[in-house]
Amino acid sequence: MRNVLKWTCLLLLVGTPHAEGHSPPGKPTLTSCRSPEKETFTCWWQPGTDGGLPTTYALYYRKENSDAVYQCPDYVTAGENSCFFNKNDTSIWVNYNITVVATNRLGSTFSDPVDIDVVYIVQPNPPENVSLTIMQDKGWPFLRVAWQPPRKADTRSGWITLIYEIGIRMEHENEWETHVAGQQKLFNIFSLRSGGAYLVQVRCKPDHGFWSEWSSASRIRFPDYFHREKSTWIVITVFCFFIFLIVTWLLHVNSHRSVKHCLLPPVPGPKIKGFDQQLLKNGKSEAIFSALVVSDFPPRSSSNYEDLLVEYLEVYVPEEQQVILEESKELHSSCFKSESSTSDSDSGRGSCDSHTLLIDKGGQSKENEDRPVRTEDQVEAEDWEEEGSDAKEDMGGVDVPSGGRVKTWPSVFTSPSDQQISREHCLSDSMIMITEGVLGPDPSEFSLSATKPAVAQLCKPVKSRSDINISTFVHKPWSVDSDGVRPVTEDTTAFLQPFLLQERDYSKVKRVGADNTLLLQRLADVADVDDCEDQTISTGIDLKTTPVCMDSIMPGQEATSAYVDTAAIFPMPTH
Amino acid sequence: MLGNLTSVWVLLLCLTLGSQLTDVAAAPLCTNAPARCRILALANLFDRVIQHSARMHGISNGLHSELEQYFLPSRNHIGKVSRNCHTSTLLTPNGKENAQRMAREELTEVILKLLVAWKDPLWHFHQITAHQHDLANFSLDKTLEMSNMVHELRKGVEKVAEKMQTLGIISNSVSSLSSLEDILPSESAEWRLMNNHELLYCFRRDSDKIQNYLKILKCRIVPEYGC
Repeated sequence: MRNVLKWTCLLLLVGTPHAEGHSPPGKPTLTSCRSPEKETFTCWWQPGTDGGLPTTYALYYRKENSDAVYQCPDYVTAGENSCFFNKNDTSIWVNYNITVVATNRLGSTFSDPVDIDVVYIVQPNPPENVSLTIMQDKGWPFLRVAWQPPRKADTRSGWITLIYEIGIRMEHENEWETHVAGQQKLFNIFSLRSGGAYLVQVRCKPDHGFWSEWSSASRIRFPDYFHREKSTWIVITVFCFFIFLIVTWLLHVNSHRSVKHCLLPPVPGPKIKGFDQQLLKNGKSEAIFSALVVSDFPPRSSSNYEDLLVEYLEVYVPEEQQVILEESKELHSSCFKSESSTSDSDSGRGSCDSHTLLIDKGGQSKENEDRPVRTEDQVEAEDWEEEGSDAKEDMGGVDVPSGGRVKTWPSVFTSPSDQQISREHCLSDSMIMITEGVLGPDPSEFSLSATKPAVAQLCKPVKSRSDINISTFVHKPWSVDSDGVRPVTEDTTAFLQPFLLQERDYSKVKRVGADNTLLLQRLADVADVDDCEDQTISTGIDLKTTPVCMDSIMPGQEATSAYVDTAAIFPMPTH
Repeated sequence: MLGNLTSVWVLLLCLTLGSQLTDVAAAPLCTNAPARCRILALANLFDRVIQHSARMHGISNGLHSELEQYFLPSRNHIGKVSRNCHTSTLLTPNGKENAQRMAREELTEVILKLLVAWKDPLWHFHQITAHQHDLANFSLDKTLEMSNMVHELRKGVEKVAEKMQTLGIISNSVSSLSSLEDILPSESAEWRLMNNHELLYCFRRDSDKIQNYLKILKCRIVPEYGC
C-alpha cells in the first residue's frame, strides 16, 4: 500500500511538468556562417522548441589547436539569433569549432558543433554603383556597364579577389542572360536590339566562396539605329554584284568548252537543210521558204540509197493473199507510223513498236506451240486493220529526217524501182529467212553468210495475218521447195506464203518491193539465234523481239538475227 | 628527310629543356632601360608567380575534395582529428592587418619558408599514392604535378626576390635558399605524423596562404598593375 502510494507520488511528480508543458529546450541548429569581406563573420542559428519556458541561447567556440572555449562576443549587431565576430576575434586560416547552447530553467541543450574556416565562407555584398552608358563604335552603338566592388571588400590591397558576372534581359522577358566579366570592372555588350528596353544587374564572387546577391537592376533603353541597318543591305547588294561580275568574268575567261557547256549549254541551232539564218535575218520570207525546199527530195539518185536504205528482205506474195497482205500492209504501215515517231533511231533496228503493240493487243503468247492461234490471228488482223488506217494517213506526212537519215519505210514506199536494188541488197547481204521451227535442229544450215547465196538467202516469211489455220503450219518443216518461200536467187525473189511464222519466227523486213515483194532479212548469228530461241517463246504470232535479238541486229553484220518487223512492208503501189 | 626529322627532334628537345630550366624567370626585357620598364618586368613576374600559385591551389583543392568525397563519406562525424599541420609552428599572419603590417622581406621569407616546408611531404605523398593500391585511382598525376609545382614556385619566388633586391625594393636580408633549409629542420618528422587527409587539408590551406601573401606583396610593391 505504501509502495503504491510512493509510486503514484513519483509518477505525479514526474508527470506534472509534462502536464503543464514545460520542458528543457529543444535542440538549436546553426544554419549558416558568412563573412562579407574575409575580415569579420557572422553565424546564425535556428532555435528549437523552447519548452514553454524562457530560453536563452549562447554560442561557444573553440579555435584550432586550443582548448580554450570562448563565448560569442556580440549577439546584437547581426540581429536575433546571431553572433558577430569582429576583426579582432576573427582569424583567417584557422579552424573554428562553434556550438550553440539553449538553456532554460529545466535544462540546456547543445547543438551539433560546426567547423568553419573563414576563408571558405566568404560571401561579399553586391557590387555598387552600377552605371550603364550607351557608347558609339563607328556608328554602331553598344552598351557599357561599369560598377564598383562592394565597399567592404578590400580588393585594392590584394586581400580579396573578386570576379564579376552581369545579367541582362529585356524588360518583357523572363530569362536573364549572364556574362562573366572576370576581374574587370567594366563590360561592353554589343548586338542589342535597337529601341529595346533592358535591365542589367551585377554580382560578384571571391576565389572560393559564394556568389553575392544581385545588385538592384538598372534600366536602360537602347537607341534606335534603323538607318544603320540600311548599310548592311548596301553591302549585301554590292557583294552580290561583285559575285555576279566574277562569275561572268570566269565564264568569259574559261573558254573551255566543258565549263561553258556545263554552265550554259549552247542552244542548238536549227538544222534544217537549206535553212539560212541570214535570210531569216533579212526578213525575206519567200526566200527562206524557197530555200527550204530541197530540190532533190525525194531522193532519186541511187547513190544515196546506200545511206538511206537498211538491209531488208524482199518478199513476194501471191495474188490470192493480196487482201490479207493489204491488211498486213496497213498493219505494217502502222508500224511505219510508230517507226517514224521514233525518227531518230537507226532504222536498222527496225524496232517496230508495233511488235509490242501487237503483243499488247494480242496478249502474251504462250509457249505452247500447240495452242490454237487462229483466234489470235484474227484479233491481230483486226488490230492491223485499225492501225493500218491510221498509219496510211500518216505516211504521207512523213518527213525526211534531218541529216539525211532517211527511214527505210518511206524510202521504200516512194521508190518503186527499189525492188531491183532491194533485190541486189537482198543478194548482197546475208539475208536469210529462217524460222526456228522450220529450221529444226540445225538452223545453221540456213544461217549462212553470203558465200552461199543460193542456199543462204532464204527470206523469212512475213508474218501475215490470215485466216488460214496456222497451226497446221506450225510444225511444218520448211523446205526450199515448200509453198511460199523460195530462196532468193539472182533472178527471182522469194515467194511468200502467208505462213504463220513459227515461234521465234522473225525477220527483219528490209524493203518492200514494187509488186508485193517484201524483202526480209535475217541478221542474227547462230548464237544470237540461240538466244533468240531461248527468249522468244511463242508461236509465230508473238513477234516480240527480245532485246538481245534486237541489239544484235546491225546492218551489215555477217551475223544473222532474225526478227520480223511485222510492219512487213507491203509495197505501196498496191494500194 | 631523316635530317629534317632529326633537326626537328633536336629543336623540340631544346625547347622542352629550355622551358624546364627557365620556368618562372622572365626573359630580360629591358636590362638597360629606365626604371619603369624594370618595374613592368617585375609586375609581369609577380603575375606569373601568382598564376602559378593559383593553379597549385586549385589542384590541391581538387585533391582534397576528391579525398573527402571518396574516402571520408561521413563529414559530420564527431571527434574529428584536430589538424596539426606541421607548418603551424611557422609564424604566418592570420589576418589582413597582420599581413599588411609585416615587412616585405618578412612576408617574402614566410612565403619561401612555406614552400620549402612542403617540398618533402608532397614528394612523399606522391610516393605513397603511387604504391598504395587503394589510392591508385586517386589522381596520381595530380600529386606529381603538385609536388613539381611547389618546387617550381619556390624557384619563381626566389627569382622575384632577387629582382626586388636588385631593384632596391627590398633589402638584402632575405635568406637565400641554403640558409632557409638550414633554418627548417630537414629531419623533422612532424609531417610524417599526418595522414593523407590531414596532409591535403593542411596543404590546401597553406597554398591559399601563399597565393594571398603573394597578392598582398604585389599590390604593395607594384599597385598600379592590376590591383
